[in-house]
Parts: sequence; structure tokens; C-alpha cells
Amino acid sequence: MSEVKYLTEFYHLPEFKTLDGYKKNGGYKELEKALKMQPQAIIDEVKNSGLRGRGGAGFSTGMKWGFLPKNNEPRYLLCNADEGEPGTFKDRMMMERAPHQLVEGMIISGFAIGSKKSYIYVRGEYDASIASLETAIQEAYKAGYLGQNILGSGFDHDMDVYRGAGAYICGEETGMISSLEGSKGQPKLKPPFPAVQGYLKKPTIVNNVETLAAVKYVMRDGAQGYRKYGTEKSAGTKLFSLSGNVVKPGNYEVPLAYPLKDMIFNLGGGIKNGKKLKAVIPGGSSAPVLTADEAMKATLDYECMAQMGTMLGSGAIIVIDDSKCMVECLANLTHFYHHESCGQCTPCREGTGWVDKITHSILSGKGRMQDIELLLKVADNMKGKTICALSDAAALPVISFVTKFRDEFEYFVREGKSKVKGTAYKGHSHAQMHH
Amino acid sequence: MPKCTINGVELEVKEGTTIIQAMYDNHQKIAHYCWHPGLSIAGVCRLCMVEIEGNPRLQIACNTVVTEGMKVNNNSPKVKEAVKWGLDFHLINHPLDCPICDQAGECGLQEQYMEFGQYNSEMAEAKTKKHKVVDLGPTVVLDSERCVLCSRCVRFTDEVSKTNELGIFNRGDHAEIGTHAGKELNNKYSLNTVDICPVGALTSKDFRFRQRVWYLKDSEAVCNGCSTGCNVKVYFNKEGVFRVKPKRNDAINGHWMCDDGRNIYKFVNKENRQLKGMKLANGQWTVDLHAGSVAKDAAQVLKAASSDDTALVLTGQHTVEEYESIVSAFVNQFKTKNVYHWWNSEKTASDFDGLLIRGDKNPNTKGLQTVLAKHGVQTQWSQLESALNSGKIKNLVVVGPENVGVYNDLAEKQNLFAKAHNFIFLTAAKADVLKENKSFKNVFVIPTKTFVEKAGTFVNHAGVAQQFKKVTTIVSEALTVSEAATLLVGQDIKVDIVADQDLFNAENKRADQVALDHRKKNEFIFQRGRL
Repeated sequence: MSEVKYLTEFYHLPEFKTLDGYKKNGGYKELEKALKMQPQAIIDEVKNSGLRGRGGAGFSTGMKWGFLPKNNEPRYLLCNADEGEPGTFKDRMMMERAPHQLVEGMIISGFAIGSKKSYIYVRGEYDASIASLETAIQEAYKAGYLGQNILGSGFDHDMDVYRGAGAYICGEETGMISSLEGSKGQPKLKPPFPAVQGYLKKPTIVNNVETLAAVKYVMRDGAQGYRKYGTEKSAGTKLFSLSGNVVKPGNYEVPLAYPLKDMIFNLGGGIKNGKKLKAVIPGGSSAPVLTADEAMKATLDYECMAQMGTMLGSGAIIVIDDSKCMVECLANLTHFYHHESCGQCTPCREGTGWVDKITHSILSGKGRMQDIELLLKVADNMKGKTICALSDAAALPVISFVTKFRDEFEYFVREGKSKVKGTAYKGHSHAQMHH
Repeated sequence: MPKCTINGVELEVKEGTTIIQAMYDNHQKIAHYCWHPGLSIAGVCRLCMVEIEGNPRLQIACNTVVTEGMKVNNNSPKVKEAVKWGLDFHLINHPLDCPICDQAGECGLQEQYMEFGQYNSEMAEAKTKKHKVVDLGPTVVLDSERCVLCSRCVRFTDEVSKTNELGIFNRGDHAEIGTHAGKELNNKYSLNTVDICPVGALTSKDFRFRQRVWYLKDSEAVCNGCSTGCNVKVYFNKEGVFRVKPKRNDAINGHWMCDDGRNIYKFVNKENRQLKGMKLANGQWTVDLHAGSVAKDAAQVLKAASSDDTALVLTGQHTVEEYESIVSAFVNQFKTKNVYHWWNSEKTASDFDGLLIRGDKNPNTKGLQTVLAKHGVQTQWSQLESALNSGKIKNLVVVGPENVGVYNDLAEKQNLFAKAHNFIFLTAAKADVLKENKSFKNVFVIPTKTFVEKAGTFVNHAGVAQQFKKVTTIVSEALTVSEAATLLVGQDIKVDIVADQDLFNAENKRADQVALDHRKKNEFIFQRGRL
């Protein structure tokens, strides 16, 4: 099997970025079509298409929209473009190469849920994405796709780009809402859920860039047409960001249920420098790691990933070869979560710091044998105890790394050096790294 | 009204009640730091975990609303393990400085550790360093390392005082409480943040390092700082009173009190009190006299006086019972209605800051007015002034204020009172200042008790009569105004205050009397250390 160019069909064309180029290649046709439909019919179509959130959680998009209260209360559509999951870079490409695809998807979605205002919350570092989106929105306003009485349909919709400041936690939907409201980017207690009480305490839908862009294709091909790719429960195509020790890293669009093995060895060109595959993180840094054996059997869909105790997440596949020390890899991740915890809930605030300190003390050759069990215990008690999923995201890699590569951790503690590299960590001390 | 079962106890609660509120109202123990009944829900400490039948994941009790038929427990091994770990996360970076921490003895972390912890810490790594001894403002000091970031203080300044000085800065395990740029924690209610701080992070500049809490007893009283009549807890030992904290009464003050009210303990203590009786006669002061003997000497003077040349001055700082004794003594025994109300804050009496602080700086103006009206006393202050100036009033009994700090007209009034030939002064506050005023002729100073040293009733601005009990004795020789009145008259005074229907009718009874009784039994987790 090879790549499928479904959403990315025209991404190779530089002109696809502009309104003219986009329209030449089928742009805004679906918007015209959608504006003539009943909003509920669009929601039903999306529900029937089996489209699931592409940001990480994989929740049914149509069902999410269905949680909105059935009244005339003002509501907001927010596009989550705060792509912060380590290893993920698909939204960035979509926004840079096909901003109108997102804008069109959002206007259709806004029409479906009855929202007159939407924001695209973009990660602060994404200068090019922000510039490209802002140009696209201006073009769309000029062409009458945004603003008052869009294409004579009577539907009004305004759209703005909001620039984040590069905080991982602002990719969590309620953290993003807090940030958009001007507060510190910290997740909010649920319930109430955003669909009931979100941005400015109004019903709010938050969807990922890829999800909203895909809505256009559900409109184009219909629910059944969209289901041409993928499986019953994992319908459609998905963009995967392949990185790590592969020959050809990059974004690849494949139908869901595509074999991970093919992703790495066919599309990715195999492992770099003739090394062997050791492990794969299949869905962004929060997803539990797979061993090489598991990776060879895995398919890229929600069911198989869940079955293997991991997740499809944002579709960031990080390939690790056999020259890498798993203790060091984990330390990289624990450092990230320690740095990014918002500090609101105690188990996450203190737990991320604690596992990071323990991991680094093992890495510097000062680990104690009981630290390995302790890592597992601490991580286990960080799971499912907090307002948002960051704590789980920090705990899951710890548990999977330590469980699946326990020998490397034990060797490091026993010998004071890496089993793979033969040395201890020579970087800065832990304290210097963080402060 | 959904019914639920919590730890095997069937409860019926109001629609929308959270599990923690239901447990709190029914005296069930549940660990928590961030939840406070007077603040919004933060849900961040993650300690109030409960197991709900049918839900595989533990839920926090503070953000889960009770639904019909819900079965909840917080005593299963699963919950206990979760709370133990929740506590451990709170403690790993917490300094072990209990011996020098002011909160020790009334610390939420210590309480929970004794309940759920009692293990050896597995934390072998270096603790996170944060700022210590941070001066937040004129009243409060912060130790960030002790802080558990429960955000109660931040929510207090946002939601109650509405002054918004505090925030949480930075993130993750280096997040810290602090004041916003250019601001300090400086508001009339700032010390409530110290009360609600479950740990020793926020400490009161006034109280810190002055006494270990386990050497203090506490007892309930009504604040005499203004006409609101906040319910308070007075913390004391044999050395005196050390601090005052608010006591919850939803009908009066909720959970809070103002910072001024916390200073009321200061005038109660010996250093500011009139400890003994004193007398001025023939230009000579005699000090260190027994209070009772001065009162008896004064009684001789009053016995010789006529009803026309005798007057009584009262302030709104004493109890209804005391007013009743002394006013009936004057009206019935001395046959005079020359009774005057010295009201320092009459002009500002109706001022109100919208939360607790009122312009009338007397706790019992309403009570005094009621007693005066009952005895048919109708006088104006100006009448007293002219009667003193003309020499018509020769014998003046003044029951002076306890809280002299709120009486700005003391010096001015002294000069007026000095016009009387015989000045009988009942005072709790130190009266040495009288010695400097050379215009006094004959003076009898009788030391009186303060509001913590006697039982009685205050009637607040809204007419709510609040009875309180004696807390402690500070000046053993001091007399209550009632006792002094008995000595001044030379016989027992018949007082039937309890039967007074005007004052103690049903509507005026303390609205939360029932609630107060159960709070006494409620051994919720922040029960303070006792001697």
C-alpha cells in the first residue's frame, strides 16, 4: 500500500495557498453546497462519516457537535492549531500549504453548529502558519466567504487568528479557552464541558486543524464517500508526522489502518545508517511506546492502537533505533512534561517534577534500584487524578518505557552507565537544566 | 431533593449539592485543601477523592454533584491509597520545618499526614527551591516553599475582597503565589487569607512567632469592633489574648471578618487596661485602690446627691444586661432620667462597605437604644453639654468605651466631663491620661471588664441579638458594669432581661443557632489544636 493524497491532493502546488489557486482546484465549492443544506443535515453527515478528532483524543466529531444545546445561545467554533505534541508537525504543513482548506472547513462547520464567530488558536512559534492564515482570511473576506450574508445565504461568520505563546497546555481544549479569554492557560474543571459552557461561558466547539479541514471532504464525497478509506471505526485518511531515526522523515497521508511497518520501512525508507528498529512512539510523545516486535504488527488505527495499550494520538510517529538509550529517551520526555505542567493540580505539578528528577538521577549514574519501582508507582498515581490529561500524558511514557525496557533501566542503576552507550549522562546536572 | 448514600449513611440533599458539601454538612470527614465552603470550586488539590458506584474512576467530591441514588464512599482501600498519594505529592517538595513553622499544630498537612500518611517519604531527590519570607503587604508574609498552591487566597481576593492583588505566577513545580506588579496585599480583609491558608505559607505579621497554637485555648465571642457583630473565636492563655479569628455564621459574617476586628484583642490585654481603682480628691491622686472600695466611695457621693444634679453617660460598647442594670439603677433608685448616649460615630453610623465593615464602631448601639427607650429615656447630648456648662449637673457617672481606639473625641469629652464636681468613671481602658488633665476636681475610676471577660448580649445593626459567654479573665479585679451599678446603688438591682419580649422575640434570635450547635460537634479536618 502506498500513500493516499486525499486532503493533501494539491499540497504540492504553491498556488494552492492562494484563493485563486485554491478555487481552481475545487476550493469553496463545498461551502456553496453546504450553505444550501440544513445545518442538522451537515451534522448528521459528519456523524455518519465516522470522522474522529484528529488532535489526539479521537472523539467522534459529529457526536461532539451534537452536545451543543439546542437553542439560540451564541456559540463559538475554535480551531485548535496549537500543535505542541512533541513529534507532531502535520497541522503546520496544512496551515502553510492549504490555509483556505481550513478556512472553508471552518465556515462549513460554523454554519453547521450555528456559530457566527470562530478563532484559530495557533501555536506562537508558527510564524509562517499565522501569516498564511491571516492572508487567507483576508482573501476570504474580500471574496465574500466570510463576513455578513455569506454568498447570499443570510449566514454571517467572522474568523480571527489568535496567536498562542507556545505553551503545550494551551493545546488542551479548556486550557486553550482560558488562554483565549486572556487568562493564564490552565485547563478548566469539567463539568461543565465546553460544548455547554466554554469560551466566555458560551457553548463552544474545539476541533483540530485536520478535523475541520476534513469536514470539507465529508461534504464533497458524502459520509459514505469519506468512508472509502479506513475501517468502520477508523474512517478516512490521516496525516502522520514521521520522525526520528528514519531515512525519509516527513508528513504522510495514509488511510487509517495502514500498517506501521510500511510507514517506517516503505514510506519512511527504513532505519537510518543501517541500524535496527528498537522502539516506536506511535502517537506523539504521550503515547506509550511500542517495542520493535509490537510495531511490526501494528496498524495505524484507533482500535489496534488501543488494543496494544497505546494510542493513535496526534499521529506523530517517533522511530527509535537500537543505538539510542531508552533511559535517555525517557529523560527527554520527562523533562518536557516537567517543563510544561501548568502546575494547577498537585499530582501533575509535583509528579512530573518527581519522575523527571528520578529519571535524571538514574541517568547521571546515581540511581537506586528502588527508583525503578518508584517511577512506576509515582506514574501510576499521576494517572486519572487530574483536571486534564497532561498528567496521564506524562505518566504513560514512564510506565511503558520502564516496563518494556526495564533491563536498560536496571543496567543503568547497577552499572552507573548506559547499556547501549556505555557512558553516563554527561550533560548539565538536573538542577542546571531547569533553572 | 436527591437522596444518596455516603459511606453507608443515607442522606437527602438539596438539588445541586456537591458530594463534599453534603459530607461537610453531615460531619463526615474528607480530606481537602483547595475546597472552601465560602469560595468557588478550584478542584486542584485532588485530595477529596471519592468512589462512586458504577464509575471505575475516582472522582473529586468538590466538583461532583449528588444525583438521585448515588452511592459514594471515601473509605475504601482504593480511595485511601489515592489520598495517601495525593498527600505525598503535596509533601515531596514541602520543607520539613514544622518546628519553626507558625502553622504547626493547626496545619492541614500535619492533620492529613496523621490521618492518611504516617509513612516514610520515598522522595530522595533535592526539593524544589522557592522564595521564602516574601513580604506581601502590611499584614501577611509568604513562604512559597510551604505553599501547596491550593489557590484559596487568590480566590479570596478575587471573589470576596474583590481586590485582586494575588495571583499564581510561573507554572509547574515552580509556580508561586505572589502579588501582581506594583500591588501589595493591602485590603481591609487581608488576614482572612491567613485563616484559609491550609498550611504555613501565609502567616500573619501580627501573630507569627508570638505563641505556639497548642498553648492557646479558643472560645467564641462576638466582635465588638463595629455594629456588624461578627462571630469570632478568641485565642487566649493565661498571658492574655493572642489573636481573633472569624467563626462561621452565615446569618452575620459568613466565614470572614475584617482586619480591624482582629485588633480588638489588643485593648483587652493587661498592658492597655485599667487594672486597679484610683481616686482624685483634694488635688491628690491615690492609685492602686481596690475597685470595689472606689465604687463604694462613689456610692457615698451619689447617695448624697439629688436626682436633678446627677447624670449617667453610656457608650454602645457594653452588653444589654449591663445597660439594663445601670439604667434601671438610675431610673428606679436615683429617680433620674438624665441618661445620655455618647455616640462617637453617629454621623457615619449608616456607612457600609458592602461586605462586613460598618460605620458604627460600637457593637451594641441598638441594644443601648432599646434599653433607653424601654425606660422612657429621651435625652439629647446637647442637653448634657449645657447642663454641665451651667453647673446644673454636679455628679456624673460615665461608662467609657472599651475600644478607645475608635473614640477620636476622648480628649474633647474629658474636658466636658471635668466640669462635673464628681466624675465617676467606669473604664476598661487605662485611665492614666486623666491625671494629666488638671481641671478635674473629684474623680473615681472604677476598672471594668471587657467583652471577653463577661457573658452578655449585643444587638447588631440589623437588630439581631447575639448572646455570648465569658471567654477568660484578664483583669481579675475589674467589675462588670452591672456589678459596679450594684455597688453604686448599694443594693441588688432587679433585672428581668430574659423576659424582655422586645429584645428576645423569636425573629431576633440568632438565625443560625441550630447551625452553630452542630458546628461545635463537627470535627472537620481543620479543627484547631487545643490545650
